[in-house]
Amino acid sequence: MTRFPLGLVLLVLLSLLVYLGVLHRALDRLRLSDRAALAVLVAMIVGSFIDLPLPVAGVTATVNVGGGLIPLGLAGYLIWRAGTPLERWRGILAGVATALVGYAVGSLLNRGLVEPGGRFQWLDALYVYPLAAGAVAYLVGRSRRAACVGAVLGVILFDVFYLVWLKLSGVRGVVAVGGAGALDAVVLSAVLAIILAEVVGETRERLAGGPALAGRPRKLLAALRRPEVRREEGHRDGTPQ
Amino acid sequence: MGRRSKAWLAALLLLAGVAAWYGFRPDARRTLGPPAGGEAEEHAGRCITVVEPGGRIVDKMARALVPGDEVITADGRHYRVREVRGDTAVAQLLGMDARLLAWDQELATGGIPVQAAGRTPEVAVYHTHSSESYVPSDGSAFIPFNGGIYRVGEVLTNALRSRGVGVNHDRTPHDPHDNNAYVRSRKTAVRLLKGNPVAMLDVHRDGIPDADFYRQRVSGQEVSQVRIVVGRQNPRRDANLDFARRMMAYANRLHPGIVKGILLASGDYNQDLLPTALLLEVGTHTSTREEAERGVALFAGAIPYVLGVGPAPAERPGQPEWSRPVTDPGARQAGVWRALALLILVGLAAGASFLVVSAGGLRQARERFRDLLRVEFGEFFRSPRPRPPDRRE
Repeated sequence: MTRFPLGLVLLVLLSLLVYLGVLHRALDRLRLSDRAALAVLVAMIVGSFIDLPLPVAGVTATVNVGGGLIPLGLAGYLIWRAGTPLERWRGILAGVATALVGYAVGSLLNRGLVEPGGRFQWLDALYVYPLAAGAVAYLVGRSRRAACVGAVLGVILFDVFYLVWLKLSGVRGVVAVGGAGALDAVVLSAVLAIILAEVVGETRERLAGGPALAGRPRKLLAALRRPEVRREEGHRDGTPQ
Repeated sequence: MGRRSKAWLAALLLLAGVAAWYGFRPDARRTLGPPAGGEAEEHAGRCITVVEPGGRIVDKMARALVPGDEVITADGRHYRVREVRGDTAVAQLLGMDARLLAWDQELATGGIPVQAAGRTPEVAVYHTHSSESYVPSDGSAFIPFNGGIYRVGEVLTNALRSRGVGVNHDRTPHDPHDNNAYVRSRKTAVRLLKGNPVAMLDVHRDGIPDADFYRQRVSGQEVSQVRIVVGRQNPRRDANLDFARRMMAYANRLHPGIVKGILLASGDYNQDLLPTALLLEVGTHTSTREEAERGVALFAGAIPYVLGVGPAPAERPGQPEWSRPVTDPGARQAGVWRALALLILVGLAAGASFLVVSAGGLRQARERFRDLLRVEFGEFFRSPRPRPPDRRE
């Protein structure tokens, strides 16, 4: 890249800045403070350059710190900090469902001789995972965190599935979990899924006149951060704060 | 959690169970594995013909086109697919591709290579579909984990090296031959990026049954033509398309007919990683590998000049910017600037919409923006003072 003229360098740098900026804002929506989000972001970037070998005989397997371990840790943290047990299950389920959708669309529907992407390739596989995670998270209960957990677990599960398949097949393949670091499908899917949940969820919620508060567990209501919602909470729900 | 959410949960769990059984059943290897034999035959007849509204054939390819996909033919005609009916895609002629023709004309009027640039750049070559092979030479359309396409990549590598260009030819397999292979090869592409390549080429072969459609006599040799594919779902696709245009114009000037055309298809193909990343389809599975090797060797001859890493044409006064190599510091690439402007515009529009939606209205958005300017920039110029507690914590 350093050999490119100014326009190309600017384009690449600006795209990276936009991506990292969006990534930071996305992390910021996940029970992380600004500083914690920044720390995770920096750790992801630095970790992108570190690959740890996985001891799997017969298969060259590695896990990248920035694209695999840190997102996985973040997903674990979100599951651990989930407001209710059901919310925990939602995230895990969103992950399993995302992996399955990714497998069904990317490996079952789009294979064979058709080039370069498959018979039904209207969307790059890279974008199927966040769409699936965002949609599942929305269906089982609108949640940015479930979308993020779903996307991260989904892509990583698919990598693990690939590892198991290589092992069962007995061929000498290569598996690099989160191998592209901060640019890997794991991170990209998480960011896009959060944005999707945010944009679709927030827009729908706004159009419907704000979050529905009646009948929600107190723990979830306490997590609502907007002061105007907190002020109204007692009035609309009839419960003291 | 509402009743509806529980129903969704139950449905998804059921789906998960079925899919897990399907994926890991005893014959799962065959299902997941590279399609061969019967399955190759199953798709053997699959070929989309791109036609003009009058019925004139524009192009053929082994992929499902969607409205909006574009084709730029070797003679500069630019088409956009309007509708797809079965195996026929009707494309509208948008006109002659002005930038391609201008670049071509410039090459016709001069451009004498005089000196080699004193740099040792590297081109990265890899294969997302690592099982792709050529039936007449390799015996099958797919050789798992070690397709004939590696040999084509090797010929490209050697041809570039013989012209003084360094090549990092990566042989990581990304089997099976499916769309998820791009998610797997993304890791390889990013690893290659760490070597600071000047361009990244993902080498494939097509899957249409008619080898004659790719077979051509070029520069006295019987070869398979090369098709350049640019992903439409890449936010910076204009920059990659700029590079593709230059490649086609110069390669076809050097060896008329070697590049079949440019296809703008729905996909990203990991081209968002580098503005000079391209996907090449060298021949089809029914071509002989030798034809493909000869084709890619001729194509390789054009790469050093377009990248500005080999013999370059003489500078002439008034030389248009598009006649300069893609890496020339003086080259003002319109596609690149367009992509930059688009990125900034979309970024600003997305940020503004997000602000309005999350603030709950235009007035609140304005207030938040003012607060942001006051707090962030006001504090920047003021002496440090204790921050008020974060209201979201």
